[in-house]
Amino acid sequence: MEQFNNRNVSNEYFLVDIEDYPTDGWGKFKRVVKRTFRAELFVGLWVVLREMIKFDIHTVSYPEEKMPIGPRYRAVHEMKRLWESDAERCIGCGLCEKICISNCIRMDTKIDAESRKEVSEYTINLGRCIYCGYCAEVCPELAITHGGEYENASEQREQFIDFKTMLTPLEAMKAGTQLEFEGFGAITPHEDERVKKTPLAY
Amino acid sequence: MSNLINFKIDGISVEAKRGETILNVARKNDIYIPTMCYISKTTPCASCRMCVVEAGGVDGFVLSCNTPPTEGIEITTNTPALELERTNIMKLYDVNHPLECGVCDKSGECDLQNKTLEFNVSRQSFSARDQFRETKDWGLIGYEASLCILCEKCVHVCNEVIGDDAIEVKFGGYSSVIIPKNSEVLDCTFCGECIAVCPVGALVSTNFKYSANAWELSQIPATCAHCSGGCPLEYETRHTSINGDDSIYRVKNNFEYTSLCGAGRFGFDFDNKNVSDELAFLRAKEALMSAKAIRFSSMITNEEAHILNLLKQKLGLKLFNEDARKYQEFMHSYSSISSKLHYSGSLDAIKQADAAIIIGSKVATDNPAVRYALTTAAKHNGAKIVYAHPIEDALMQNTITQLMKYEVGTEEGVMALLANAILADADMSESERVFFDDLDLGYLGAESNIGEEEFEFMMKSFSRAQNRVLIIGSDIISHKRSKNIAKLAAMIEKYSSFSLVVIPNDVNTLGVSLICELDADENIDAVVGYNAKGDFTISSVGSADFYVGALNQQEGTFVSVDNRVLPTNVALSYEGYTLNDLASACGVEAKNTVDYTAELSKNSGFKAVEFDKLENFLSKHGDDSRGYILDEIFCEANAELEEIEDLPEFNGTIIYHSNPVLQFNAYTNKTKQLERDTTLRGSAQFAAAAKISDGDKIEMTFNSRVLQREFKLDCELKGTIALNPTFDDALDSSRYRFEKTKIVRVV
Repeated sequence: MEQFNNRNVSNEYFLVDIEDYPTDGWGKFKRVVKRTFRAELFVGLWVVLREMIKFDIHTVSYPEEKMPIGPRYRAVHEMKRLWESDAERCIGCGLCEKICISNCIRMDTKIDAESRKEVSEYTINLGRCIYCGYCAEVCPELAITHGGEYENASEQREQFIDFKTMLTPLEAMKAGTQLEFEGFGAITPHEDERVKKTPLAY
Repeated sequence: MSNLINFKIDGISVEAKRGETILNVARKNDIYIPTMCYISKTTPCASCRMCVVEAGGVDGFVLSCNTPPTEGIEITTNTPALELERTNIMKLYDVNHPLECGVCDKSGECDLQNKTLEFNVSRQSFSARDQFRETKDWGLIGYEASLCILCEKCVHVCNEVIGDDAIEVKFGGYSSVIIPKNSEVLDCTFCGECIAVCPVGALVSTNFKYSANAWELSQIPATCAHCSGGCPLEYETRHTSINGDDSIYRVKNNFEYTSLCGAGRFGFDFDNKNVSDELAFLRAKEALMSAKAIRFSSMITNEEAHILNLLKQKLGLKLFNEDARKYQEFMHSYSSISSKLHYSGSLDAIKQADAAIIIGSKVATDNPAVRYALTTAAKHNGAKIVYAHPIEDALMQNTITQLMKYEVGTEEGVMALLANAILADADMSESERVFFDDLDLGYLGAESNIGEEEFEFMMKSFSRAQNRVLIIGSDIISHKRSKNIAKLAAMIEKYSSFSLVVIPNDVNTLGVSLICELDADENIDAVVGYNAKGDFTISSVGSADFYVGALNQQEGTFVSVDNRVLPTNVALSYEGYTLNDLASACGVEAKNTVDYTAELSKNSGFKAVEFDKLENFLSKHGDDSRGYILDEIFCEANAELEEIEDLPEFNGTIIYHSNPVLQFNAYTNKTKQLERDTTLRGSAQFAAAAKISDGDKIEMTFNSRVLQREFKLDCELKGTIALNPTFDDALDSSRYRFEKTKIVRVV
């Protein structure tokens, strides 16, 4: 039992030396006076200046520099294209619309010139989206996925919710730079080996 | 011999009526037997073989859908062997079935999908070389052969319930498909019933295809507002596009027990998009306060009719509605002999009949619900059906057993002859017998052109019938001598085993005739038209001075041909005013229109039931729980038959006011999907007599009205009577439908 009660998992932990907080009025008054005349601000400013001079910087200088985002990160949605034909992967099944728990996806479909189901309109209201990832998980075609674009500031609300904006640009397809989503709902490794083939005896 | 058979299903003792199948009994007792092809309203297709059960003492499996039980037999519905059999059937159904469930129009409402999951068929263990199967576009109906599982439900429904007999199975083993019968393209009345019954997405509505998923649509139970059949349906609504207002996407029905015609199924977008402002409201109020009369159509709810009647009492107006008034007159006259308010028949009575006479109606286009009931009777009971009408109807030729073609205008004579034949041995009073004894049979027969042998043949074919129905159509109601014909009809009902059905013309003709005190239409000033012509028009269709919601934007009740009060609900919201708002402003106050539902006249048989208490569903065994049936009201019978007047003669070119298939009125005319054929259709003989030819622009003169139409030669028609549609031009539908006219060709 002992080992579970001891929460100090590492020996490097130590208690910070903090004075007890004053409880009475006189003690609080003394603390205010002491802090006022000790000029603590300059202590901080000195630390910053010292580190600047030493050029020992530990933060990323955003927005010039950005941290790499994990492949499973769920930011603004992307619409993928098929590698074979560059056609949109979305088949308009409507499952993302159905599963969306914040009710922010809406789509309209129609029959196209080739008698196939076509998505005529598709929007995601990013103001409502909670980035839960259900839409990407339920998508049978791996068409809607989450991307790494987490900067949601824009002059126009409509900037992100447009189907065309989310769709992989054709240039990216030509360049072969469309990234596959590796998050929830994506194909797991070695999927090919697990697929059972339809018997074709003829 | 007892009519009940006692036997056991899975150890539970059950009872079957004679002729009932094992499956039916099992379903009634909530015992589950899976089926793929079974549909309650037709004879068993017996194509799926999923419903197999084991019967004690019988080798092998028994098909429960078409096998009646024997006394004391023990049925087992679930054993490992049966399970294996059924699973194998499902595996075969799934062979090469396209895995496109994601885009399939069925969107999860799929019997095949359900059963595949139920039997846990997760992979394909049989193989077959896939065939090329062509996708067909048949107009309103699309057929995707690759999805078809050949359950044959569509074929059975088309043949046995609808009567079109337009599709059949082209047998060819694995390459079997459904094809139009005797035709390259589908040539039918486009009722769309095949779409409704299709368990997979093989038969689909072309207009609906790929436009919405089933789960997005909200169902609003309602009653069809196109004819008096009172068919139950569900409007399915959804937001238009991604951000628009709600609109109706499709109509569905409980296809297991009820049917819909194409007008109900495809003609749903008749909602009124025009909304009036307050200024128009004030103008409408003023017009109503200073009006001398209101002229209205029967395309209104009972509650609205009640409001109009209250307005009449409050403001001292006259109410004009010739269609309902003639129906009222007919029924009054009927009551004066039969001593009751309502006729005895119903659609169910027709369905169960084994003998039926239909007179004075081109029923296939006038009232499809009656037609389907007749077809059901003919195909399921082998009913003998006599179709008495001056025009042969190609749509009815599969259904009827005897055509009685009488001369135009001689309906009174025909009814007298019919009554004479049917009531030959009836036990009636001396004075009534005298009427029949005095009939000049020779004259009537000669003038109406129906030989004695035709009646003899009819009586002979009816001799063994148990359930007989006489169906009377609108030609009779609008006939000059309709009162006397009504008495003859009442005589037949009173003194024979015939039950009677009088088909109301419009959706609520019957309701209006029971609720309103109507006046004979006169050509006076200051008439407010409510869905009808007037000096100030209030309408839910077309352009008007003041707009109200259409029947799919209103709640209220109708009275159907079954004498049943049926509720209908708001499928699409209407932001404008209603008649009730207008009436409230004029001093007839109520909060909602449906507050009047419980106040409808008890003297006409209405019950004091509030609108919200009215049910609107069919039970899972098909029992109709919609609304209520009007109470029977008895009255005094003191009238006597009048002598038959000299039968009129109609010579030369005659026009019959009759709508093409799926068109009924201005509302169906407005819908997007229904075909609008506004041509005058006539035979080659008619064309020769009128000296016109196919494609000619012609001008017809009826009394004072002149109508221009294109003439179209119709090879299915015979004789010198042409069909003139009335749906596009509100030519008063209450007039006698045959009219002599002068036809001139215009250049």
